Amino acid sequence: MSIEVLLVEDSPGDVRLTQEAFREANGAIHLHVVSDGVEAMAFLRREGGYSHAPRPDFILLDLNLPKMDGREVLAHIKSDDGLKTIPTIILTTSNAEVDIVKSYQLQANCYLTKPVQLDAFEDLVKSVNEFWITKVKLPQQRLAG
Amino acid sequence: MKSLLKQKVQLAFGFAILTLLLIGTASYHWIAVSEESTQWVWHTHEVLSNIQDLRLSMESVESSSLEFVLTGKDSALEPYYASIQKIEVDREAIRSLTVDNAVQQSQLPAIAKLATENIQRADRLIQLRRTQGLAAATAAMESGPGDQIKDDFRAAAGKLQSEEQRLRALRSVKAERYSSETKIFLILGTLFGILVVASAGWSTARDTAKREVAEAKFRGLLEAAPDGMVVVNQGGEIVLLNAQAEKHFGYSRDELLGQKVKRIIPEGFAERLIADETRSAAEALAQQIGTGIELYGQRKDGSRFPIEMMLSPLESPEGMLVTAAIRDITTRREAEAHLAQKAEELRRSNEELEQFAYVASHDLQEPLRMVASYTQLLSKRYKGRLDSDADEFIAFAVDGASRMQRLIQDLLAYSRVGKRGGELVDVSSEEALQQAVTNLRGAIEDSGAHVTHDPLPRVMADDVQLTQLLQNLVGNAIKYQKPGVPLVHISAAPDGEGMWLFSIRDNGLGIDPKFFERIFGMFQRLHKREEYAGTGMGLAICKKIVERHGGKIWVESEPGAGSTFRFTLAASDAAS
Repeated sequence: MSIEVLLVEDSPGDVRLTQEAFREANGAIHLHVVSDGVEAMAFLRREGGYSHAPRPDFILLDLNLPKMDGREVLAHIKSDDGLKTIPTIILTTSNAEVDIVKSYQLQANCYLTKPVQLDAFEDLVKSVNEFWITKVKLPQQRLAG
Repeated sequence: MKSLLKQKVQLAFGFAILTLLLIGTASYHWIAVSEESTQWVWHTHEVLSNIQDLRLSMESVESSSLEFVLTGKDSALEPYYASIQKIEVDREAIRSLTVDNAVQQSQLPAIAKLATENIQRADRLIQLRRTQGLAAATAAMESGPGDQIKDDFRAAAGKLQSEEQRLRALRSVKAERYSSETKIFLILGTLFGILVVASAGWSTARDTAKREVAEAKFRGLLEAAPDGMVVVNQGGEIVLLNAQAEKHFGYSRDELLGQKVKRIIPEGFAERLIADETRSAAEALAQQIGTGIELYGQRKDGSRFPIEMMLSPLESPEGMLVTAAIRDITTRREAEAHLAQKAEELRRSNEELEQFAYVASHDLQEPLRMVASYTQLLSKRYKGRLDSDADEFIAFAVDGASRMQRLIQDLLAYSRVGKRGGELVDVSSEEALQQAVTNLRGAIEDSGAHVTHDPLPRVMADDVQLTQLLQNLVGNAIKYQKPGVPLVHISAAPDGEGMWLFSIRDNGLGIDPKFFERIFGMFQRLHKREEYAGTGMGLAICKKIVERHGGKIWVESEPGAGSTFRFTLAASDAAS
């Protein structure tokens, strides 16, 4: 069974790095990529060209995005009864306390910063895989949805 | 000083008046005495004249009786009886005039007897003439004791006269003496009185002159004062002011004298002089003495300007006065405002610089992360699969990117010291050191270093920054080592000024004194990269942390003999 992950990230370099890291960590992960907030909401709500989009097992969300930033996306997800149970992981370069606090206030499931070293980044992705995919019990709404 | 002068004047005039009174009294006395002496002289004259009269009366009794004997005419007896009466009057006059003189009184009975004898004899002769005729009377007259009585009376009267003459001479001399003494006394007394009054006048004039000089000095001082001087009474009225004060407030002197001080200092001055239930006026003033009070002055045109005022009390005969030295501090205020503006600009500029460093380093980090990540990915995936040049190039790119990342991270850390610092609170520096040592565990284990410390105090600090400070310093101590076991010792002692002096001593390479300043600058390094890695930001961050905490940091070292880094931190309020 494939694992669906939505990556909301506008930097192609980061997208590719994340893809590489996940490929190394777990071959079963199917990484869907959107590059702005509006597209992310369309994907989640299966609007526009995403009518056949799968419901993701979790979301990796960058905070600084064009059109609609990560905080707004997070607010939309967590105020939407159909989406709020999807674990949403903030993955960003920001270390700012204000961003961390704001994210948790908006009910982010966890907050991760992108490590500067490749090794560290690969370790982080492995940890995410290990925890959110292997360890965590998630509601089976995907089947129902 | 004024009251002293007054006393002096009063004393001098009092003395003069007293002297004049004495002279007056004495003169009166002398004149009275002198007059009495003169009276006594006159008295003597009177006595003498009475004696003379008595003598004449006696002679008249004799001559008139003789005339009757010779003529037998009764008309001759008229002067006879008149003389007899006169003798009684004269005798009584002499008696009463000499009542105080025992010598004269003792003569009187003899005189009286002679007078009686004389009259009896004359009576007898008159009777003889009437009864027996001229011849019998003439015979009786010639044979009788007539001459004897006359001689005796003359002798007795002479005695009386000579005594009175003696007294007269005596009294004349006395009277004359009194008179001349009175003259001398009057002259001397008048001279003395003039002297006293003159000296009192001179002394007063001198003191007045002195006071005028003092007042002129005071006025000169008042006018020369660089500050506006306003003297105010307890009623808040202006009693004196100088030219500078006129200039400050734009009034002429006459416009302000007697006016309420509120007119030129609307608030804060008059109120300070008022007594209330908790303090007297003097106490109210005493509380203000010597302190610079900053208020606003009001000019004649209504405009206000900032002033600084110093109050001092001034004792005067009209009661306690208050001298206010008033300085126009417009320029100072402007300078202060200017300074505050500059400080604010500097603060903003610093903040902007910090913000710039933060944003720049933060934004640089993103593309750099890409460069670093992909060169690392390249190196990982393609090492040994391209030629050796490619491997080398990739290695340089990886190294450069890594170093740049560290630089940027340190720059971020540096800018965060000011920007992201927490409150200074009571923290245990020992716990901060333990945290730092834990963070350095890898480096300590790798180097085999011995890190020891004395008991460390509680200080006022930002916990995270204190840990970073100690971590950087201990990390440096371990890092810049010569072969052997690195020894690092941390201690703290009071610096005597309410601060704790921390020392981090090592047995490492030591530092040349000429670099003592430089090592605390940004991006300053003393070693080649191949020898010791690093960005040259560690001590700059330490310096910024210590300075943010209000302390100082410096190094003491000798090349080859290890270094001791010292810094000061404020002692904790709770634990000092």
